[in-house]
Amino acid sequence: MEVRRISPTVAWLAILAVVAVATTFAAAVVDPITLRSNGRIVVLVLAVLGIVLATGQTGLVSLGHGAFVGTGAFAMAVLADDVDVPILLAIPLAGGIAAVFGGLVGLPALRLRGIQLALVTLGVAVVFPVIARQYPKLTGGVTGRTVDATVEPPGWMPAPFDEPGSFRFLVCVAVCLVGFWLTYNLMTSRVGRAMRAIRDNDIAAAAYGVDRTTTKVGAFAFSAGLAGVAGALQVMLFPFASHDQFTVFLSLRIYAAAVVGGVASIFGAVVGVAALVVVPAVNEALDLLESETAVFGLALVVLTFVAPGGLVELGARLWRRLRREPPAGTVSSPGDGSESERPERVLRPTASARRLRGDR
Amino acid sequence: MDLFLQRIFDGLFNGAIYASLAVAIVITFRTTGILNFAQGELAVFSAYIALLLLNPGARTLRGSGLVADYIPGTPWPVPLAIAGAVAAGAAAGALVERVVIRPLARASDLSIVNVTIGLLILVNAVVVEIWGVRGYLLDSPFPTGADDYVPVGGARLRLETIGVWATLLVVLTVLAIVLRHTRLGLAFRAATTNPESAELCGIPLSRTRLAGWIIAGALGALSATLVAHSVVLDPFMMIRLLIFSFAAATIGGLDSPGGAVVGGMIIGLTQSLVPGYVPGIGTEVSLVPAVAAMLLVLLIRPAGLFGTRRVSRV
Repeated sequence: MEVRRISPTVAWLAILAVVAVATTFAAAVVDPITLRSNGRIVVLVLAVLGIVLATGQTGLVSLGHGAFVGTGAFAMAVLADDVDVPILLAIPLAGGIAAVFGGLVGLPALRLRGIQLALVTLGVAVVFPVIARQYPKLTGGVTGRTVDATVEPPGWMPAPFDEPGSFRFLVCVAVCLVGFWLTYNLMTSRVGRAMRAIRDNDIAAAAYGVDRTTTKVGAFAFSAGLAGVAGALQVMLFPFASHDQFTVFLSLRIYAAAVVGGVASIFGAVVGVAALVVVPAVNEALDLLESETAVFGLALVVLTFVAPGGLVELGARLWRRLRREPPAGTVSSPGDGSESERPERVLRPTASARRLRGDR
Repeated sequence: MDLFLQRIFDGLFNGAIYASLAVAIVITFRTTGILNFAQGELAVFSAYIALLLLNPGARTLRGSGLVADYIPGTPWPVPLAIAGAVAAGAAAGALVERVVIRPLARASDLSIVNVTIGLLILVNAVVVEIWGVRGYLLDSPFPTGADDYVPVGGARLRLETIGVWATLLVVLTVLAIVLRHTRLGLAFRAATTNPESAELCGIPLSRTRLAGWIIAGALGALSATLVAHSVVLDPFMMIRLLIFSFAAATIGGLDSPGGAVVGGMIIGLTQSLVPGYVPGIGTEVSLVPAVAAMLLVLLIRPAGLFGTRRVSRV
């Protein structure tokens, strides 16, 4: 059965409409404190999206995105308070600083096999809070720092976004959408194809003319930049940043959310972050465990066996079974956690070779 | 001078601990070709087993009632409790290999990395769930009093340090002999060099891998129980140690047990000497030189000091 394909523009407009309605609804109904505390997790969607880009598209395992979130958060605090940059301008700047940091971290390890990047980033994740404590002028040291600069809604903002809390939430949603749009465009471009070529067989990719180091470092820096923006948004929502928010367990949680959601598509990031919001809420409501972290560890292990493509793959499979379609072998190959998208139309050797070289 | 000597002793004490965990990581890597990110957490779990065996019936310690009721002779003497923890670590290694790793033998590297990271998160969360985040004091098998030291050139060589060195020296020597001079060691080398040919020659690949995980689990448990007295036993004890040991294994070369020992000593000495002599680096930031050393080796000699260089083909 041939599924009719929707043009990307229509899809984006539809997503924009749905998100706009949902955001307005949330801002009008949910009380500001709940909105803020959940918003702090929701913005992590950008960090998870960073993992999708780095791990799912390029095959680079990063266990250190929590450190990049922290870099973005502290950069935001410094820029907004010490340098007096307007907050809305400080958000992309903080992302840029995190991207530079990510590139520096990745540069030595990216020249090597993937697993060494996992080691180095895990090291960075463990070291980050320790180093952050050492520079109290920037990070507030042991106690952390508050941020005095705030962003207020402009006068023309209609209700319900004329309150500071809901306006900040709106900014977060808008920035996340922009992040998704940029990432989507990156993934569907020539660079995106080069990234997937590296993931699938980096030696062959190099033979076809892909500059491996530049592509890998670029992808990793962009991915770290997304995480940095998430950290900046966290500080905007709640003007406080402290080293103990950015421990290695934040990094592991971000990675787990990406893999549980599904690292092969950008929807996986949405599903993964939904899990980050829903699982603790359910756990607290039912009073099951002291900490919900175990659920993510277990899900990571079980999903590797059941559905390597994460919850997105599981959902797609269920959907197909409900519609009694034959299981499509093209959607995922068992045991390989990387593919759940359609086979690309450009993979004929001549075409891909041409595109990787850059002439169209 | 005596301060210098003291720092050397401290560095070698830590180095020995890192070395033993690094050897565990290397053995897993050699036999199954994967890095076990959960190695440290399995070791923490084993250390809590030792704690239970030493403190049966303690009111604040979950599970100690069971130990008091069902395990005869508890509280066990410290060396016996450590042996119990080592056995538990070996069992945990075997369990993980059989239940999770073996079924994934044909899966992609990424899947296996995901599984061991999942185990790291899961085991840590389970330990927190059972025993909480508070720290416990685990007794050392060696005398640790204030006067239990040998003066060497003005520095104090603690008996605990000597004990840990001696234990690990014996264990690693036995391991080296096993790897070099027994059928099991030969099977190990064959299974890592070329798994398919090894299997055709009649080497039981599956059992060899299982043996690797058992040895690694036992070694990890040993390092955790030996170090637990000098740090505090809490659920997050091993994640720092894991970083040091990964750094040690990377420096030595991920497939060289001897290199892991050298790497562990390098990391231990860096950690104790650099903060002492480089201004601006406090003891708390001692992680930084370790990670920096790892990066340096990766840049200059990606395969590590003693590792095998790999040539990759399409």
